[in-house]
Amino acid sequence: MSETGHATTHDAAHDLRVKAYFTVFIALSVFTAISFLANEAVRQGWIGVYASFAIIIGVAVIKAFLVGMIFMHLNFDWGKVYFIIVPIFILGVMMMLVLMPDIVIAWQPGQNPLEPPVSTTGTR
Amino acid sequence: MTQVVYDKPQEHMGMPLPTPKVAMWLFLVTEIMFFTALIGTYIILRQGTPAQSPHKWPMPHQVHLIEWIGALNTFVLICSSFTVVLAHHAAVKADMKKAASYIGITLALGAVFLGIKAYEYNSKIQHDILPGHIGETLPYPEKNLPSAEKGESNKSMFAIEREKHDHAAGMQYFHRVQLQLEEVKKSSIDAEIQKECNALLDKMTSATAGEGQAAAFHRPPSPAVVGEQVNEILEKAEKKGVALHLTPAIPFGNLWASCYFAMTGFHALHVFGGIVVFVIVLLIAALGRFGPQHATMLELIGLYWHFVDIVWIFLFPLLYLV
Repeated sequence: MSETGHATTHDAAHDLRVKAYFTVFIALSVFTAISFLANEAVRQGWIGVYASFAIIIGVAVIKAFLVGMIFMHLNFDWGKVYFIIVPIFILGVMMMLVLMPDIVIAWQPGQNPLEPPVSTTGTR
Repeated sequence: MTQVVYDKPQEHMGMPLPTPKVAMWLFLVTEIMFFTALIGTYIILRQGTPAQSPHKWPMPHQVHLIEWIGALNTFVLICSSFTVVLAHHAAVKADMKKAASYIGITLALGAVFLGIKAYEYNSKIQHDILPGHIGETLPYPEKNLPSAEKGESNKSMFAIEREKHDHAAGMQYFHRVQLQLEEVKKSSIDAEIQKECNALLDKMTSATAGEGQAAAFHRPPSPAVVGEQVNEILEKAEKKGVALHLTPAIPFGNLWASCYFAMTGFHALHVFGGIVVFVIVLLIAALGRFGPQHATMLELIGLYWHFVDIVWIFLFPLLYLV
């Protein structure tokens, strides 16, 4: 392949990458708007609390995934760093599960200690 | 006779990644644990609000959180993530002038984020929504009072236990509001609001009527009643556009404020750290020493900045929306 041919291929790859970055940027902006609108929708009573919760958290996970995969180049590097990242997420979830019985599912003042603890939700 | 010599491929020590990148990822996972601790604690504390209590975790409007400001901040950080990745891309193409420009834009967007955060913090300070300041108790609604037929004696016991538990904090709030009302008495504000504030102050302070005269003892209102009346005065003042420095009573408000300032404060510190690094990069560029050899450095800075963005992507919905 000639040098100009190689340079052209190289430039095309670079342009594709910029296009990917721009597409992800637009997607992130749109998803932010979706989560904001989901919150407005539940305030207006158009959708339920649980539906909006699922949309908002789902959107947050998708946004984090896009930033991680495309902006942080994990689409190239995942196979080389997954063993550093995955245990952390397991530990994070474990930390919450370990603390949950004492704080969330707990006896409250005035409750009869002979009765089973009240499972609290605390959600609106 | 031909001989085939088989050379074993040379084995390399270490990771199939540049060492600085490994180091950055190791640092980022420690930061993930740090923010998981903060965010996880917030989630379980919020889920731990008692079911027997008629009062729930504060709504955004109760604590003066404005959703569109949070959404704007999210968009600002998304833009900055985009510009920092373009900066790295330009450095890989050896266009260092463009790379430095994109770093400058990223720095500016980070500063905008901190400016908006400062505006929000100022709002909290003005409304005195700070950890340890907020009144915790409000009067329990009639429907939660015990009813012998329904056998709901647990709920009155819960209410009594909560007030006993919160007594010290309640009296702290009582005295704080008393001092604030005395300040309001000295200032000149809307007449109707002033009248209501003075009436509340009189109820809180005067146990007897008139000097040297025997009078019936007037029991001062409880912190819960004071909190309820302060909230009513603040609502009227807000409708009239009167700025009033009175601490509201928001059940679980102190816990909310502690979580809010811990999470967003540490996040803001991380944003500031990123801005310091961008300033250093721009100084290197100003000294004319910014070259393609800095492409890896820009990639690593970008990794840190994207992580800060991801943390905010989760903070925004958990604090402002859900």
